[in-house]
Amino acid sequence: MSTEIALFLLRLLSGLLLLGLLGALFVLLWREFRASAREVEASRRTYGRIVVLREVNGTMTRTGEVYPLLPITSLGRSPTNSIRIDDSFASGEHAVVTMRNGQWWLEDRQSRNGTMLNGVLVNQPVVVTDGDIIGIGKLRFRLEIES
Amino acid sequence: MPAEALTLENAQDTRFRLTPDALILAIAGIFLLTNTAALALVRGGISPRDIAIVVVWATCALIGRRLLVTRLRQPDVLLFSLAMFLSGWGLVLINRLAAPFAERQTLWLVIAVAGLLLVALTPRTLRLLRSFRYTLLVAGLALLASTIIFGENPSGLPAAPELWLRFGDIYLQPSEPLKIVLVVFLASYLAEQYPALRAEGIDTHLRRIAMSPRVFGPILLMWSLSIVFLVWQRDLGAAILFFAVFTILLYVASGSALIVLSGAALIVFAGLVGYFAFDVVRLRVDVWLHPWPEAGGRAYQIVQSLMAFAAGGPFGQGIGQGLPTFIPVVHSDFAFAAIAEEWGLLGVITLIACIAVLVTRGLKLALFQRGRPFNALLAVGLSAILATQSLLIMGGVLKLVPLTGVTLPFLSYGGSSLVTNFVLVGLLIRISVSEAA
Repeated sequence: MSTEIALFLLRLLSGLLLLGLLGALFVLLWREFRASAREVEASRRTYGRIVVLREVNGTMTRTGEVYPLLPITSLGRSPTNSIRIDDSFASGEHAVVTMRNGQWWLEDRQSRNGTMLNGVLVNQPVVVTDGDIIGIGKLRFRLEIES
Repeated sequence: MPAEALTLENAQDTRFRLTPDALILAIAGIFLLTNTAALALVRGGISPRDIAIVVVWATCALIGRRLLVTRLRQPDVLLFSLAMFLSGWGLVLINRLAAPFAERQTLWLVIAVAGLLLVALTPRTLRLLRSFRYTLLVAGLALLASTIIFGENPSGLPAAPELWLRFGDIYLQPSEPLKIVLVVFLASYLAEQYPALRAEGIDTHLRRIAMSPRVFGPILLMWSLSIVFLVWQRDLGAAILFFAVFTILLYVASGSALIVLSGAALIVFAGLVGYFAFDVVRLRVDVWLHPWPEAGGRAYQIVQSLMAFAAGGPFGQGIGQGLPTFIPVVHSDFAFAAIAEEWGLLGVITLIACIAVLVTRGLKLALFQRGRPFNALLAVGLSAILATQSLLIMGGVLKLVPLTGVTLPFLSYGGSSLVTNFVLVGLLIRISVSEAA
């Protein structure tokens, strides 16, 4: 093997090594970027939404208010609730939606006028699913749960 | 939060498979070997020096990585791998450009790695630095003052700037370690002065106090002092570097854009004054603006450097097969041009990518130091040194900015520079293992 060919091969190898190093750096940075993106994603994770509806002339109409569904979402008239209901029929602490063991539960908190689920009065904690409608006073809350 | 997830992933990596940082270190080793072989082939024979360089480098890399991984809890080893890659490249480059210097540089590499390990493995490094900051500062300034009085230049030319201190056979450049000392001092000073600025919800009353000259006065005084020293010594690169890093740190600590604007204005003003007052500055600027009429005279160096870039092309001439030695003192300030000629655009891109990753990793470390302003500011300052210095010299060699004589980190010949940069990386690794607040 002549010197020239050997030198050319070594040059080729050296260039490939530089490319390999660039590649390794890129893979490493990409992996770390994905890891931190996942982390940010997890901290911003959403569970779903609660859409507020109101009955107008016999049909349900969106009022435009949308709240994020939280693992503990409380509803009521007092300002400490996750969703504050400005309605004289609502009690201070009216109802609460919670996630327990991977299921969403609706619970009435001994409100004066009661809580409805799809038109039925809630006496004890019940499991709710996507599309269920919670009724408090004249307001309706549609659950949109993300799986 | 992200810090935890990342370190957890790293922890899994070290146990089960080849981690990217180990891979990079391995590639660096093969790269060094390949280029040394090619160099020996070009020269028509292998010398004991070539073997010694590879063996010493590999020993340093293996021992260093082993100690870092076993003694520390999830350190950022990638920083070490990149520093070793760049310094290995630097060794083979110096062996090719100025072979007699290569042995000494190899010895310096051993000292530099020892320095990195010392700084990174001592648990109390950061606290010690913080508590002895005034001592360090006084020592650093004294060293600088003694350079002005006793300084020499190893080349022995009468007009050359005398930036070195001679101890027997060894020359040291005090402005190199002074970089770290000043960043440590500024970081601890700013961290002490403005905890309120780092907190969320800035109180306007506190902000007014922080912006008063009573607080900034001492730092400005100290800085103008060191800059006067440096201008006096005609070490322009170090003066600009110090000022830029100072501005960046002050900006990060206060978050006020005004500081960046006034800093930039001050640099331009100083440049204008320097152009009319100092011959060195005028020479550099003239040569930068109009190199071609004087291609054979004052602008010889920069023109040869541009030729080297042109000769390199996309893949380079191959080690030992280009003609970078036409550039005067190519092994120190113009190492970047030699890389461009013999490794081409590919080498240049890899080099820039490595430095960019080092700098961004440093800045990322700073982001994870919530509630520890000293660590955060130190990480920012150290990264800023690395970034500014690389930009200054790479831009200068490419004729993008006027040439300022600073070394290319890790690659240029120079013991003080190599040791300083390794200690800098050691500090960053130390910051990476200090538990998240």
